[in-house]
Amino acid sequence: MSEKFEHSQFAHCESGVVSTLLTHYGLKLSEPMVFGLTSSLSFVFLPIIKLNNMPLIAYRELPKNIINKVSKVLGIEIVKKTYKNGVEANNDLTKFVEDKQLVGLQTSVFYLPYFPKDMRFHFNAHNLLVYGKEGSDYKISDPVFEEAVLCDEKELTRARFAKGVFAPKGFMYYPKNIPTNLDFSSIVKKAIKKNAKSMLTPFPYAGVKGMRTLAKKISKLNPNSDPRYLKNYLTHIVRMQEEIGTGGGGFRFLYAAFLKEVKKHDLDNELLDEASSLLVKSGNTLREFALLCVESSKKIDKFDANKIAEKLVEASKYEEEAFKLLKKIQ
Amino acid sequence: MEKIEVPQEENKTLDGIKKVMYTTDNDGEFKTANYGSSVEEFATQVAVEEYEVLKQESLENIKKGLSSPIEYFMFENRMDLPTLASVVGMFQFRVKRHLRMNNFNKLNDKVLSKYAQAFNIKIEELKDFKV
Repeated sequence: MSEKFEHSQFAHCESGVVSTLLTHYGLKLSEPMVFGLTSSLSFVFLPIIKLNNMPLIAYRELPKNIINKVSKVLGIEIVKKTYKNGVEANNDLTKFVEDKQLVGLQTSVFYLPYFPKDMRFHFNAHNLLVYGKEGSDYKISDPVFEEAVLCDEKELTRARFAKGVFAPKGFMYYPKNIPTNLDFSSIVKKAIKKNAKSMLTPFPYAGVKGMRTLAKKISKLNPNSDPRYLKNYLTHIVRMQEEIGTGGGGFRFLYAAFLKEVKKHDLDNELLDEASSLLVKSGNTLREFALLCVESSKKIDKFDANKIAEKLVEASKYEEEAFKLLKKIQ
Repeated sequence: MEKIEVPQEENKTLDGIKKVMYTTDNDGEFKTANYGSSVEEFATQVAVEEYEVLKQESLENIKKGLSSPIEYFMFENRMDLPTLASVVGMFQFRVKRHLRMNNFNKLNDKVLSKYAQAFNIKIEELKDFKV
C-alpha cells in the first residue's frame, strides 16, 4: 500500500468500498461502474421477512452482492475471511494493517461509536475500509463520512460480530490478482442485460413488478387504522430508500451515471442516453414518492393512499421502459 | 436530460455530516454532491421516537408488574425480538417469555448475564431495575 491513503466519500457503502479497493490495488473503477457492472440496481419487497416488524424493502441487490459479483464478472480473485471469534479477527486485522494492506470490513452501524446517535440502528451490512492503526484505534475510511475517522479496536470488533439479519461474522475482504486485459465492451453488455432481466422478472416481489406489488399494498392501507402503525409503515418505506439507501432515488441516479460512463465502450449511445434519462426520471419520481409518504405521516388525516401508490407505479413505468430498452443493447 | 435537484435542507439526525448523492453538472456529466434532506430527517426521527415511545410504554408495564427490565433494555438498544434472540443465542419464544415480569423473576444469573452482556450493562442493572 502506498504510504498515503486518501479517503473519499461515496453515495453507497458497498460500491464505494469496492471502488476504492479495486482502484487501490490497480484497477481504476468508479463507484457507478462498480454498481453497474455487478448489476446491483434492484427492487425487492418481501413482506415475510420482517425488520422491526416492518417488511423488507430494498432498492438495490442484497448486501454482499457487489463483493461476490465483482469477482465473477471481472475475474478478480477476492480474498474473503470470516472468523469464529473477535480476538482472532482483531489479531488478523492488526497484521494486515501492519503490512500496510488495505482491507474492507462488514459491520453493524449500531456499534460504531463515530456514527451520530440517531443513525445507530441494527443494520448489519455496513461496509468500511481500514487503512491504519494508532495505538488501539483503527484508522477508518467510512464511505458515508466526509472525513476519515478513528474507531477503538474493542468497539470495531463488537461491530464486526453483531448478531441478527445479515450478521457479518467478522467478514473481511480484499482483492488479489486483478486481470489486466479486460474486455469491457462485452462485460458491460452482459451486466446491463443481466440487470434488465432481474428488473423485468415475472416474480411479483422483485423488480418492476415488486414496485407495483408494494404500490398495491400501500393503496390498500386503511387510513382509519392505527395512526402510529401507518406513520411507522410509511416512514419505514422512506428509510429503506433514503437512509439505508442513498438520497431519494439515489440508486437510480447511480445507475444512470453508470449508463453514461459506459458510453466510451463502443455501445449504442443513443439507447444508453435514453435509458439513463428514464432512470433519472424514476429517481426523481421516487423522491416525490418519499415526500408524499412523509407528508402523510405528518398529517395522517390527509393520507391519500392511492396518490402515494400511483407515484410508485409511475416510477415503475419509467424503469420498465428503461430496462426494456436496455435488454436489447448490442 | 432531466435535472436532478440536490436538496440543501437541514438534517439534524446527521450531526453535521453531509452525505453525497449523484447529480449532473451543466454539461450533463454525473458527479457527486453533498446534500441534506428534511424528508430523510423526518423518517429517521420517527424511527428514533418510536423506540422512545416503546420504552415509555415498557416502563408503565414494568410498574404494573407486567413487563420485565429486559423488555426495557431491548428497546433502549433499539432491538426487536428476533435481533435480541439472535444476540443472546436463544429461541424467540424463550426470549419472549423473559420479557414478562413473572418469568423474569425466576431467571438465574447465568441467563441474566447473557442479557446483561447483550445490553453491555452489569447484571445488577437488570436485577435492581427501578422505574
